Formats: sequence, structure tokens, C-alpha cells
Amino acid sequence: MPSWQDFEPFIVSGLALGGVYALSGVGTVVLYRATGVVYLAFGAVGAMGALIAWSLTNAGTPDWLAWLVCVLFSGAVTLAYGIVFGPPLARRDPLVKAVATLGLTLILFGLMDLLWTTNGGQSRAITLPTDNGGFTIGQVQVTWTQVIGLAAGVGIVVVTTVFLRYTKLGTAMRAMANDREITATLGVPVRRVEAAAWLGCGVIAGVAGLLLADLVALDATTLTFLVISSLAAALIARLRSIVATFLAAMAIGLIHDLLTPIQSLSNYRDMTPFVLAAVALLVLSRHRVMTASREEA
Amino acid sequence: MGRRKHAPGTRTAGALVAVIAALVAAGCSSSSSTPSSGGSATATASGTAASTSQCGTKPGVKATGTPIPLGAIATNQPGTSFTDIPNMAAAYFACVNANGGINGHPIKLYIQTEQTNPAQIAADAKQLVQTDHVVGIVGNTSILECTINHSYWEKLGYFVVDSGIAPECYSTPNSAAVNMGPRYSSDGAVQYALSQHVSKVVFDQSNVPGTGYIAAGPAALAAAAHTPIVQLTENVPISDANSVAIKEVDDAGPNGAVILNFTPPEALVILQAAQKLGLEDRVKLWGCSTPCNTDFLAQALGPKWNHKLFVNAELTPPDVTSTPKMALYKAILAQYGKSVSGGVGSFSQMGFAEAEIMVHALQAVTGAYTVASVNTALKAVKDFDTGMLCQGWTYGGYPMHIPNNVDYTTTPDNGKMVTAQGCTAISPADPQIAAYRKVAGTG
Amino acid sequence: MLDIAGRTAAARQRSPLRRPGRRALIRAGVVVVLFLFVLLALPQLLSLYYIDAMTQVVVYSVVTLGLGVLVGRVGLVSLGQVAVLAIGAWVAARLLFATTQPYPLVLLEAGVITMVLGTLIGLPALRLRGLYLALITLMLAGAITVVLTTTNFPNGGHGLLGYNGATVHIPAIRRPAIAESDPAYYRYAVVVAALMFLLVLAHIRTRPGRAWAAIRQSEPAALAAGINTWLYKLWAFALVSFITGVAGGVLAGAVHYLYSINFPTQDSITLLAVVLMGGAYSLWGAVIAALLLQLLPALLNNWGVSADWLTILFGIGVLQVLLTAPRGLADQVPKDLARLGRLLRRRIRRPAPPEGDPA
Repeated sequence: MPSWQDFEPFIVSGLALGGVYALSGVGTVVLYRATGVVYLAFGAVGAMGALIAWSLTNAGTPDWLAWLVCVLFSGAVTLAYGIVFGPPLARRDPLVKAVATLGLTLILFGLMDLLWTTNGGQSRAITLPTDNGGFTIGQVQVTWTQVIGLAAGVGIVVVTTVFLRYTKLGTAMRAMANDREITATLGVPVRRVEAAAWLGCGVIAGVAGLLLADLVALDATTLTFLVISSLAAALIARLRSIVATFLAAMAIGLIHDLLTPIQSLSNYRDMTPFVLAAVALLVLSRHRVMTASREEA
Repeated sequence: MGRRKHAPGTRTAGALVAVIAALVAAGCSSSSSTPSSGGSATATASGTAASTSQCGTKPGVKATGTPIPLGAIATNQPGTSFTDIPNMAAAYFACVNANGGINGHPIKLYIQTEQTNPAQIAADAKQLVQTDHVVGIVGNTSILECTINHSYWEKLGYFVVDSGIAPECYSTPNSAAVNMGPRYSSDGAVQYALSQHVSKVVFDQSNVPGTGYIAAGPAALAAAAHTPIVQLTENVPISDANSVAIKEVDDAGPNGAVILNFTPPEALVILQAAQKLGLEDRVKLWGCSTPCNTDFLAQALGPKWNHKLFVNAELTPPDVTSTPKMALYKAILAQYGKSVSGGVGSFSQMGFAEAEIMVHALQAVTGAYTVASVNTALKAVKDFDTGMLCQGWTYGGYPMHIPNNVDYTTTPDNGKMVTAQGCTAISPADPQIAAYRKVAGTG
Repeated sequence: MLDIAGRTAAARQRSPLRRPGRRALIRAGVVVVLFLFVLLALPQLLSLYYIDAMTQVVVYSVVTLGLGVLVGRVGLVSLGQVAVLAIGAWVAARLLFATTQPYPLVLLEAGVITMVLGTLIGLPALRLRGLYLALITLMLAGAITVVLTTTNFPNGGHGLLGYNGATVHIPAIRRPAIAESDPAYYRYAVVVAALMFLLVLAHIRTRPGRAWAAIRQSEPAALAAGINTWLYKLWAFALVSFITGVAGGVLAGAVHYLYSINFPTQDSITLLAVVLMGGAYSLWGAVIAALLLQLLPALLNNWGVSADWLTILFGIGVLQVLLTAPRGLADQVPKDLARLGRLLRRRIRRPAPPEGDPA
């Protein structure tokens, strides 16, 4: 069994990984709280935005403009999807709505590989200026980007929780996720509120995409399907609480990295999100049947 | 719910018949894969044409005889694309076709791509042989192809010239590679580290098929040098490079070496993570197998890695070499290599070398170009100078082939890869290398 | 209290006897002719490339059949079927290397072991419904995939896992003695697949099928009707795991070499996409889904078109199916063809007033 000193650097990297999962997981749940859709295309949209930013930066565009385009692109695609496919599917089961976003994921994934082919020997990377500075904790260095990633996760959690609970628009979103019909009869401009929710989520996806491309890798497959691992955090929170999603993500990241120095388990550590999610779901549902019905949203 | 269950069944059957009819039509027609002849061959200035005309025997004369069909299978999927290699071979053949061909016959290269699906890879081989009637296989570059198809090639008598990855590319009689592949290239990287007297070696590789086979080489070298070695594998794509870097550095210790065997994107991610964590100076040296040998990696890594990362290079560095063959390679790439997206680099160098070998063999064929005649000529290639390797390349009738077993070591230096050590033979402490040198009579 | 079995039996008695009999006979005849064609004639007409592709189609048609039963008949979405296929292939490969048992026995064992594992895993998951069930199957599949990546598939080595990582010569997984060549193995696969289809058909036509229909319609109502929903859902899981396990065994012999990179978690998403597109409810839909999944890529590969276009097509297909044609192509294409047929018939009989065409 490795000593405390062996574990120490992995605590720091584990928190950084938790921040990564949190960014992705919280973004998926945020839209669920607002529209009842588990946005599985979150990773793909952010990845495509990051690739566009990379192309622009390579072509000579100033960095800030490229990042802005990334965020705007993600927002626009998500908004377009929400406007076109949101209303027709609004009355369907949450499962159907989630599977529909899988369709969007496949389309974006195919497009990304077509437009940004993997050519021999080349690899793409996004570097943010905050990569070069940092501070030291124990034996390892922490870059500002990792701090920003963590802060962004916390920020999204705080802002969206406050927004959904205390603002008029937020309350309207929650009401709509609960029951669209009744909310419409109450005079809430349903389509506009929905559009605002989709746009907000898309913007978050763009920001997260940039940060994740820097923190993880600028690779379409990795970023698109990272959402599967971060779904684990969302599932532990039963898709209900954004705060719980964040905490679960941090826990997953920590446990994942803390398993690294343990020889017998090290190779299996990638299972951490899945095992934790499965166990949590089964434990949480042992007394009752769990459905993601409208009332639960 | 009153859905009629009968009618749709009959109608669906009709639809299915239509589908099968279309399928039969597709199958019956000789559906050959679209041959890719590397880019437009229209020479703009006579100056450019002149410098590439050495590739053929009759400069400026277009070959118009019956084509000689050849085949290649390459992996092309999201995240992994080796199509540059057969595409470069096709570019070379296009040059040859524009300059006399092979005794007036043009070469036609059929390229099949695959997505690491064994059924597909086996099917691709059958397509090339049975539908496209290829007489030789050159330019194969695939994670799995040698394993899947080697029995098929052996049964039919094809002697494949490839860029090997799987164990069978080096351990079977019908495959000879121009590169060293992951095991022997890792040997080269570990060998260099051992020559710098490190006290411990950590060998980390991606968890793709064949890790045990690859790890056995470095293990043998470390054992012969009485140096402890730690073997690690990582699932790719890597989602958490930080923990990987920390683990490697911890295991190696301050006087140890970390040797990586990954594709360039993954290696870059690990090295960048090590740099961001401030770990790059915590070990004596870092090493990498040949995929890291690209200028792109040198640029992406930055000056902190100058002379700190030592990469095994299985091909002659193109930037610092100015032999006629290297000039020809760059000229062909510029004129015919539009579909070679990586430009100057080891992938296109390998394609060039493989095409050279094939043309050399074809030129030795007298009479008809059949499977038997072409492959007999390939087997007879001996000590051929490709201009891309440390020594001459031999096929031979041996039960195993590792013809490229002498390599360079390069290191990044301000955005470029420069030579750190010239041609050095891979140590025979690796039993496979020793076995090959024995059968080839070079040991 | 509703009596599902009684209702259907009474309904069948009320309908006229002659018409359905003849129509059913014609339909059965078409199926038999088609089957014989696919079994006997098709291998003679196709090149080896397409025979290999069609073998994959046959194997995956059983997998899509299983997913179709779960999604279309019972109403459970499972995003873990590729992992189940991998388990079946793993078991078959281990047995084929370690023993000299005849092939049918190995396939049966692979199916049974996969069924047991699938049921064990499905047991606790059945407490979840809808979206949660889909997501937990995705999680379980992700876990199994990581384990498989680390333990690898058997390749003739010794020990429990049967994996020898250091070998320079990986032995091929054997095929049955009567089906060594590719066309022969294709026929073998077709026969096995047909048996799986018959097994599923038998379930659908009898009590489980009716129970599943009731559960899909409304689980609380089915419960209220006295159906043991938990048992029938478990039965569905068991059946689907069994046939997918057998399909895994056939796959092992077809490809000769198994790698964990061939069973990534995201393939389960593509599988769901094609099942939805082909039609989850109909048995023909399973075949269409398998053709989309395995034949189209082979065609595109030959024509030099990138496989990415197919990924995009599947994404569009999923959206289209969910929006407009919940029953998928198996329902849509016949409807369109029928409409075309009616149009043509009206044109031909233009002078006379149109007969009472079936709507």
C-alpha cells in the first residue's frame, strides 16, 4: 500500500480531474433542469467549437476572437437545435429527448472527423495563456488554467442555481421543465424562455469545450465521449441537483486519481465513474422505483 | 392500438427483396476500389518535371501499356490515419508512370482503408486479390492487418512490403517492413537511455493489441544492462494525463528515465502535462519511440524540452540530409503528393521507401507481371539503398524479417528535431533481433 | 380485471378464418423463399469481400433483433448491447481455445453464460425506468469495456483469462469443421441467426409477447392487470442476452481475432441509432438495421466514401425517426411503397372508377 507521500500529488491532480468532470457534467444537468432534456451533445458541441477556434488561431486570428467564435458557435448550434427540435419533442418522454440529442452528437462527430482529419503525425493542441503560470502545492505545480477550470465549474453551479431559483426567467424555466402545457397557459412565453435556456447551455458548452480542450486534449473522440464519464456524476445526483452533480464529479475525479499508485487497481481506474454511478443508482433506488418523469425534473 | 399485423410484413418483405437485389447488383459488378493516384500530375514548369524525372527510366515518356495492379491496406479512422503512407507510394508510382513506367507499363495502386475491424480487414484483402487482381502488396500500414491477413498472404504467395505495427509484421515469412515498429523502436529509445547510465527505466505504452510483445523488447534490454524496469500501460485516448505523468515520474525517480510508446497526440498530451506540473526535470531523461519524431512535436513542446527528450528515429532525418534520393523524395512530394497531408515526415518517407523497393523489384522482372514473378523479385531484393534508412534493405526468404534494425536518436532543439546520435544498431539483447540477425547472416 | 390472453383469443375467433390463413401462408412462403435465396444463392453471386460483409450483417442482425425486442416490444432502452456481444464473444473464444467441443455446443454455452451474466446485471437495474435505465446500462457497458481493455480477449494463452500478451504469433479462433471457408461459414451463420429469429418469434407469438406488449403500453396498467412485470422484463433481458451471446460466438469464428478496441462503448449509441432507423418493432427492422450498420460501411469503403458520412446519416436518421416515424424504416418504406403502388394502380385503371383499395 503506497504511503501518504505517494498519494499527495494525486490529490491535486484528482481535484483538477474532478473539475473537468464537473464542467462537463454540470453543463449537461443544467439544461435538464431548465428544459427536461439531458443534453448528451454537450461534449461534441464544445469540441467542434474548440476545433474551430484552433483553425482560426492557426490562420492568424487573434486568440480572444477565436475563443469568442467558439463560444458563439456552440451557443448558435445548441440554440438552433433547441428551436427546431425542442417543441416537437417537448411532450415526449425524457428518454426520447435524450436519444434525440444523441442524434445531434453523431452528426457533429461525423462532421468533425470529416473537416479536421487526422493526418499522419500531426496532433492539435489548444494552449491558453494561463497555462504558463501557476503555483506549487507540495511537489506538483498547478496551472492557472486548472484553477480556472475548477472556478468555472463552481461558477456555473452557483450562477445557475441562483438564476433558476431567484430570477423570473429561471423560475419560468423550472416551471416549463416541470409541465410545459400549464406553464404556457399561465402566459409564460414558452418558446422564448426555452430558447434562452438552450442558448445559455450552448454558451456554457463552448466555454467548457475550450477549457476541456486545454485540460484534456483537443481530440474530437475524447471530448465528445467524455460526456459519458461525466454523466456518472449527473446520475449520482439523479439528474436533480446541480450542486450534487458538482460534488459527485469532484469525488469521482479524486477517487480516479487516488487509485493510480495502487498497483493492482491502477489499470482499472478508468472504471471509477461507471462503477460509482451504477452503485449509487442502485443504492438510491432500493426502496422505490426511479423514473425520470416530468414531475421529477 | 389497432395495428394490422399482416400487411406490413408482406410489404416489408418486398422492400427487403429490393435491397437484396441491389446488393447482388453491387456484388456482381466488378466493384474495385477507386485507385488513388496521388494528386494531379500536371507539371507546371519544366524545372519541376526535370528534378522528379529520375524516378523513372525514360524521363518525360508517359507509360501507356497494360497497368500493373498493386494493393495497399491502411487504417483510417477518427484519431488514427495512416493513409499518408500508401498515398505517398501512389505519388511515387505516378512519377514513375509519367517517366516511362515499368518497361512502359504504368502502375496502378488500389488502396483499401479500414477501421481496425478484423472482418473488414480480411475482406479488404480478398477484394484486392479477387476483384482488383493485384500482383503485389506494398504500403500496408495497419494496427491489425499483419495479424489478420498473414496466413492469407502466405497461402497465396504474396510477399508484402509494409510499415509494420503488429507482431506478425516482423515474425512471419511474408511480411518485411521498412520501419522498426513499436517494439524495436522502443528498444532503440530504451537503449539510448541505458547508454546514458540511468538507474531505472519506466516504459509506458498505450494499451493497444500487442503490449506484452512490445514490452518484451525493453524488458530484455534492461535485464541485459542489469537495470530495473517498470512496465506500464495506459488506456487511450488518455483523459487524465496528469496522473499518468505523476505516476511515471514517481516510478522513475531522479536518476531514472521515462520512455514512452504512444502516438504523437497522446505522447504530446503526457509531455505537456509533465511540463505543466513542473515535472520535466524530475527524471534524468525522457525518451520516446519513433512516432514522436516530428517537427510538429518539437514545436508544440517548446524550448523546455531541448535536449531533454530523446526520440528513436527509424528513418534518416529529412531536414539535415541532402542526398539525391532525399531531394527526389521532397520533389515528388511537392509535385505528386497532394493527398499526403502530413508533408515531409516519417510517414511519407516510409511510403517513398516502400514504393522505391517495389519499383526496384518490378524492374528486375523479365516477362509477364504475375503474382509469382513479382513476388519472387521482391523476395530477391538485397541490400537496396532506399536513401531513407541507415543501411541497405533486404527481403530474403527468411522465416522472419526485421530489415530495418539500425537507427538514429533525435532530440528537439528550438522547434526542430536534430540528431543526437547517428546510426546505431539495436542491441541483440532483444531475442528477436538476435534471431533475425542469425537467419539473415548479419549477426 | 383485464384478461389479456382471453381478449386476444376471443378476437382471433371473431375474425374470419379463410383470409388470414391464405395471407399468412403467402407471407410465410415469401419468407421461406427469401431465406433459401439468402442461404443458398447469395454466396454464389457475391465476391468474397461482400460475403465477409454479409456475414457481419447476419451476426449483427441478431444483435439488432435483441435490441429491437427490448426497445420496440418491451419499451426498455439498453445502451449496453455491444458489451453483451463482447462478453459472448469472449466466452466463445475462451471455450474454443481451451476445449475441443463441437461448435454448436460452444455457441450454446456462450449464449447461456451471457444470459446468466446479463440477467444478473439486469436484475438490480430493472428497478429503474426510462432514462435512468438507459443511462445505467451505458454506465455498466462502460465498466465492462474498461475491464475488457485490461483483461483482453483470449488469444490461445493459458490461465483463466487465456491471454498471452507476449506472443509473436497469435493463433486464429477456429471455425466448425463443416464451415471452414468464408461462404460455408456465412451459411452457418445464416442458419444460426434464423434459429435465433425463430426463438424470438416464438416468444413474441406466445404469452411473453403479449405481456411485453402490455408492459410497453403502460406498465402500471399491466401491473394492475396482474402481469408480473418484473418477471417478464427479466425474461426479456435473459432472452436478449442469450441471443446476443450466441451472436458473439458466431462473431468470434467469423473474425478469427478479437480485440477490445472493436467493442467501444460509443458503438452502443450507433447500434441504437440503426435500430431506431430500421424499426425497433418489426423483425424485418432488425435486418434493415444490420444492413445499415455493416453493409453500408462496406459499400462506402469500396466506393472510397468516408465512413464519417455514415455517422452523419445515422445522426440525421435518429432525429428523423424520433420526430416523424417512430416505427422506423421497416414501417416507413413499406408505407411509401404502398402509396406508390396505389398511385400506380389508380393510373392503370384510370377509365374505371378506382376499386376499394386498402387504405
